[in-house]
Amino acid sequence: MVVTPWEVSGDIDYGKLIEQFGVQPMTQSLADRIAGHAGYIHMQLRRGVYISHRDTDWWLGEYEKGNKVGLYTGRGPSGHVHLGHLLPWFFCKYLQDAFDADLYFQMTDDEKYLFNDHLELEQTIGYTYDNALDVIACGLDPEKTHIFSDTEHIQHLYKIGLKVAKRVTYSTAKAVFGFRDSDNIGMIWYPALQAMTCFLQSDREGANIPCLIPAAIDQDPYWRMTRDIAEKLGYYKPAQIHAKFLPGLAEGGKMSASQPETAIFTTDPPDVAAGKVMSAFTGGRDTVEEQRRLGGRPEVCNVYAYYYFLFEDDDTALREREAACRSGALLCGECKKQLAERVKAFLVDFQAKREKAKEVLDDFLIKPVE
Amino acid sequence: MTPWAVKGEIDYEGLMERFGAEPITPRLLERIKRHTGGLHYMLLRGVFYSHRDLDAVLDHRERGGRFVLYTGRGPAGPVHLGHLVPWTFTKHLQEAFGSKLFFQFTDDERLLIRDDVDEGLAGHWVLENAMDVMALGFDPENTEFIVNTRHASRLYPLALKIARGITCSTMRGAFGLGDESSLGKMFFPAMQAAPCFLASERAGEPVPCLVPAGIDQDPYWRITRDAARRLGYPKPAQVHGRMLPGLTGDAKMSSSQPLTAVYTTDVPELVERKIAEADTGDHPSRCPVYQIRYMLLTEDDDEAQELYADCLAGGMECSECKARLAETVNSFLRRHRRRRSLIRSGVEKMLE
Repeated sequence: MVVTPWEVSGDIDYGKLIEQFGVQPMTQSLADRIAGHAGYIHMQLRRGVYISHRDTDWWLGEYEKGNKVGLYTGRGPSGHVHLGHLLPWFFCKYLQDAFDADLYFQMTDDEKYLFNDHLELEQTIGYTYDNALDVIACGLDPEKTHIFSDTEHIQHLYKIGLKVAKRVTYSTAKAVFGFRDSDNIGMIWYPALQAMTCFLQSDREGANIPCLIPAAIDQDPYWRMTRDIAEKLGYYKPAQIHAKFLPGLAEGGKMSASQPETAIFTTDPPDVAAGKVMSAFTGGRDTVEEQRRLGGRPEVCNVYAYYYFLFEDDDTALREREAACRSGALLCGECKKQLAERVKAFLVDFQAKREKAKEVLDDFLIKPVE
Repeated sequence: MTPWAVKGEIDYEGLMERFGAEPITPRLLERIKRHTGGLHYMLLRGVFYSHRDLDAVLDHRERGGRFVLYTGRGPAGPVHLGHLVPWTFTKHLQEAFGSKLFFQFTDDERLLIRDDVDEGLAGHWVLENAMDVMALGFDPENTEFIVNTRHASRLYPLALKIARGITCSTMRGAFGLGDESSLGKMFFPAMQAAPCFLASERAGEPVPCLVPAGIDQDPYWRITRDAARRLGYPKPAQVHGRMLPGLTGDAKMSSSQPLTAVYTTDVPELVERKIAEADTGDHPSRCPVYQIRYMLLTEDDDEAQELYADCLAGGMECSECKARLAETVNSFLRRHRRRRSLIRSGVEKMLE
């Protein structure tokens, strides 16, 4: 099992990861506490997307004391956005509404350029703005959302990035990220920029504001590094809530090795997306007869993963679908057809929002401090 | 010898050879003269004595192209006479070639390597130092100040493109950086390299860049030349200068040792005292009192020659020579400070 911000491979043992990273497992009471403020429990909290955290209880405590709290997440813009990417952004929207929190959304177009020799900087910057439309289409609040490109908005980031970069040594970065001497100096610098966003709101507002980062657990090394220097710089340590990997929804995920087209992009024409669903890998059997007799296997099924994480909010309906699958009553063809309809409807709506986002993009981009 | 510390006697010819630079030959001087009319005293006297690719810049110029100049300063304190040597020469180049000058303030580097410099202090020295620069007579219309923290967006995209081609092992070799260096220090050379390509990037066509600088800065330009190849921009050319020796016998005037240097802010009495206490050595070529005149303040060749001869013949005592230099320096500084005070608001505007 290898888990770094650039590589996730092998079978993921979350218990081991939680221990290895020294984080706390997610608990029902913590989920309930979040839900208490939101007024409802988000589907992702019910479905175990978030498996661990660090100091999320402290962050909630600060909010409960009446203090302002903030959110930070981001995206490496190296291509189009697929449905799997939307999960944490929907969750950020939920948290933003529940806690009236500003969200700093970092587009790491510098990172994608520095770590991928085949990409040009102009390309990654281009994806920043393309992907920003998807972020906006998730329904975030323009008043409280600050999307920024590392490259194009460096003006707002560089000074505080330097403060971080001054206090982390090359040997620390090597130990945390596994850098080698043959790596380029931009790669070495980049962690300072990912770390600085944890302090960006505090710096801009001139007050210490607790920051919570909803992100996949592979990003954890950044936060460990950041937590080590936070107090030296006079800021709170950032809190995290860790999502698990959802390979079934991703491009080339492990469930989909034989099906290169598993990922559904937000820019796919709805009919094309429906076609992808219809040819998706499922947990079905080789023949109808076998499936009627043995039932399907939702635990390895990409189609079920889509229902589970995105397209079936109703717990009862989900349980019924699972039972029907396992009993052999619901065959893959029918199940896929139903999902294809939902995906189509979702994309028609999302793409309309994405179009509208073009008009308000500027409202969402980070502004100079007044 | 790295860009951060120059110690001991400097073997300039040895450095040129070690860094693989070329001498400025009489033939090259003749060629420069065809462009500039006369030859600047700093070229005639070998203050600027070595170069890389200066001939390529002149080739480009002779084909009708333009080139830009680039130099800079780490704003952590007042400017001393040693700083004025390359700037005076740069000003001459700007005038002679009508070239745009990029002048970079590396306040980011100061913040990274110094614990006693904060943003406010760096900002203070940026303005103070920029006034010293402009008081030398640079053309404000043709001079662009780049304050790294303030104008990061002008440099960062280029710095990324440069950084992607520089490995950490190169940094170990070129700068002696290593495991204990900060992430900022590892990346900073890319920010310092970026202005070399700014004109090309903006114009969308090759615009060569000439960097007049102390030879101690050479490691930056070596890695920048490698980057140029990858990016398809002209390699930055350099002219290398000697450094004004320190008053106390050190190899150069140093900001970290106030008694080695005369600052533009020093009051006349302090200037007199510093010069009076200078270590004159046994020969004008090793005497800071003579070198301040020869390298910077005494443009007139006959006057410089006369002093040299007088000194060797024993016709002038060191104390007399020092008193006269103090007078020259003080009258220079009076004019300099007067010009400085008149241009403040213009310089502030240039730094916005």
